[in-house]
Amino acid sequence: MTLRQFAFRNVIRNSRVYAAFFMASISSVMVFFIYSMLMYHPRVENEFVTEIAFRGMFIAEIILVLFMLFFLFYSVRAFLEARSKEFGILMQLGMEKKQLNRLVLLEILIIGMTSVILGILFGFVFSKFFFMVVREILEIKSLALYFSWKPFALTIGTFMTLFIVISYVSIFTIKDDHVIQLIKGTQRKPEDVTFSWARAIFGMVLLVVGYVLAANATKSNLVTLAGLLPPIVTLGTYLFFTDTVQVFLKLIRKNKHVYWRKYRLLSVSEVAAMLKENARMFFISSMVSTLAFLAIGTLSSLSTFSHKYHQLNPLSLVYTSSADNPYEHRHITNLQHELQEEGLSYRLDRVVVKRQTSSKTHAPVKIISEKDLNNLAVSLGYPLVSLEKGHALFLAYSEESLKMLSKENVYTTLQESNVKLHIDSAYPKIVFPADKLGTNQIIVSDEDFKRIYAPMTGMNGTQSSSHIYIFNVPKWQDTKYVGHDLEMMINTAYAMGTEASLPFYFENTGLDYSFIRSTFALLLFIGLLAAAVFFLAAGSFIYFKLYTNLEQEKKQYETLYRMGVTKKEIRKLVNRQLIPQFFLPWAIAMVNSLFAFISLQVFWRGIADLSIMREIILVMVGVSLLQLLYFYLIRWRYLAHLKINI
Amino acid sequence: MALLKIEDVTKVYEGKVTHRALNQFSFEVEKGEFLAIMGPSGSGKTTLLNLISTIDRPTSGVIELDGVNPHDLNKTELAYFRRKELGFIFQDFNLLPMLNVEENMVLPLTLDGMNVEEMQRRIDVLAQELDLTKILEKRPNEISGGQAQKTAIGRALIHRPTLILADEPTGNLDSKSTKDVLELLGRINQRENATIVMVTHDPIAASYCDRVLFIKDGEFFNEIYKDNQRQTFFQGILNVLSLLGGNVGDFTSVRLP
Repeated sequence: MTLRQFAFRNVIRNSRVYAAFFMASISSVMVFFIYSMLMYHPRVENEFVTEIAFRGMFIAEIILVLFMLFFLFYSVRAFLEARSKEFGILMQLGMEKKQLNRLVLLEILIIGMTSVILGILFGFVFSKFFFMVVREILEIKSLALYFSWKPFALTIGTFMTLFIVISYVSIFTIKDDHVIQLIKGTQRKPEDVTFSWARAIFGMVLLVVGYVLAANATKSNLVTLAGLLPPIVTLGTYLFFTDTVQVFLKLIRKNKHVYWRKYRLLSVSEVAAMLKENARMFFISSMVSTLAFLAIGTLSSLSTFSHKYHQLNPLSLVYTSSADNPYEHRHITNLQHELQEEGLSYRLDRVVVKRQTSSKTHAPVKIISEKDLNNLAVSLGYPLVSLEKGHALFLAYSEESLKMLSKENVYTTLQESNVKLHIDSAYPKIVFPADKLGTNQIIVSDEDFKRIYAPMTGMNGTQSSSHIYIFNVPKWQDTKYVGHDLEMMINTAYAMGTEASLPFYFENTGLDYSFIRSTFALLLFIGLLAAAVFFLAAGSFIYFKLYTNLEQEKKQYETLYRMGVTKKEIRKLVNRQLIPQFFLPWAIAMVNSLFAFISLQVFWRGIADLSIMREIILVMVGVSLLQLLYFYLIRWRYLAHLKINI
Repeated sequence: MALLKIEDVTKVYEGKVTHRALNQFSFEVEKGEFLAIMGPSGSGKTTLLNLISTIDRPTSGVIELDGVNPHDLNKTELAYFRRKELGFIFQDFNLLPMLNVEENMVLPLTLDGMNVEEMQRRIDVLAQELDLTKILEKRPNEISGGQAQKTAIGRALIHRPTLILADEPTGNLDSKSTKDVLELLGRINQRENATIVMVTHDPIAASYCDRVLFIKDGEFFNEIYKDNQRQTFFQGILNVLSLLGGNVGDFTSVRLP
């Protein structure tokens, strides 16, 4: 038997130990490969829509590789520790350290190579399916399967490097100076659980401070907090796992009335030892889960944003023109023409907007007439208004502002034209979002509108008023190809920095919507794939840890069984041993991301006046269900292994 | 009346090779007796102990403890039976590594849900008795083998079981600790009138008992009772052993005239 054969057989015959690890590595290779397939796609490389999305994919790949570096290092070290007895025997039989190193190297490479090959294979098999998903998301006509050496080279290169680096590093963790210690093995040495009160309290304080800050985030301090909170909470979480939990358990242990109660004695001490031993692993896994929750939550809240987009932007095509725009007529005719070509029915409304300064707030106000609004309201199917002279209505720019404005009761004068107005309520619908007409919009009666003649202070007559052409297209999602030349002109102007002198502006809600929607959906998709890998890896690590301690646990449960603990009670004990491993990192991640979302909510209120609560709850429930499923799966396997002797 | 009654117990292990571990084995243990069971490896000692400790069922025959046949009970009742009536001492102590000495001892009581004051009282008395008061806060990996076995004895005694079963309790101990542990068992046997059944290889350990039962190939071989002198009892045990063991037997045939 050559060394190579020996290594091969070791891997094959330990396949049960390696199973979970294999699964995690294969899936990560697979996801990585699919990302790279998308990244190098010949069509996708040129699509301008996808630029952001593919930058996201690149970042996701980097995070994935970094995570795998950690995961592989931890796992491989745990494997080697678990097999230290075997290595001890080999060395006692006269194996050199050099040979042992080669053996370990070979084994890891065999595993690495197999998972790379299988991962790429699965990735390639499923990539057509993923392309279909992405095609749907991006609304591209076709995204063909292609064959290129690039994604293969990238995946193989990255992961083989990863495996080789890991195996070289991990060889050094085998200590060969005392063979006897290798043979005696890594029996769990439950050294008295050590912790420091100072660190524990510090950790708790950090977490509480972090949470309080996050909960009280306001628009103004959001940026500072975004820089400050992650390190605070990260350190807090770390200390929480290494020390704070131990202090809690210590407090429980001190109180014998609580501690010496049925299985608590066993489960509390078991949990204490296990947490101490794996504190760092739990820390990493909870931080990664937090990241995954945040990614999924943020992205799905972005897609809510796009769902609400139409509500916030009820106008399909908006052409804003200043009064002196020479192209006005030509552009409008062109747009009408294009819409006809596309076969889309539409209604065109023209709205004249005047600007004045309010005497009440000394801020500029944008004013539209009752007649224009009613025309528009008919097209949109909104309620009509009828105003008397001297009476006006607020026009809300968001739902939040609608609530506030409908309670206002204001007397004001439009300073330049000396028109007195009484405003006592708001129009019940949102017509122009803040980006179209600003945050100060009112509707006045036609009579009053005519009386506004003077231009706003500091402006001439043409600057003070503008025309807005509004095309209402019932099939507003289909308008993304309309007005492409106008878009191009605006983009060029932006690129040259001359956008201020452009006499018109054109907005296509359908295009914006499809752009936002597909970008976010794609990011969400990428995030979900990565989160799935993290999730699988964390679970496989727990499984592996359980598996390596199995013999010892078995012996312990046998002792307990002999002492008269029923099988049902043993099942309960196993539950209590497993639950913290699965759900403590998860719970911390939940709390962390919950507070992160609370501050994110502030951000969203700021830009789009949007509640992300529903999405967040959905995400959390979804992830929790998955976690529960995984818990039952692993518990089932674990109990099956334990049962053998009792 | 006998506390433990073993009647015609037979245990056959089915498998590729059917193996009769015990064959119509019978004996009785009186209340307050300290009994040693000796025999060469593979003679069925451990099988016998497993049958008495109810984690294994006899193929045929009857085992009765204090008038109850535990093998008539269902699994849960059986577990409660073990929890209440039996105390175990193992060769490798089987202390739970994450519990300290005190917690290890109190474990059987917490499972029963006893109130804390009573548990604390029992621990105090027992720790005094076993000389463990100073190391109550220590963990099993921080104490010596003798102390660990004493802890295990404490664990076996704390719920005041009807019968204490010991499987090679001195197998992992040095001679000083062996002496300590055996004297302790003897003292408990004397003072508390506890009934102890101990399986052992060690003739010195056996010599602390009231009676030694010899078993060979799953069958009763011989038994001897303690006399006034431990020395002569020890010699007696050695004599039976020399008749008993495979290799020892070879020697004796050489010695024969």
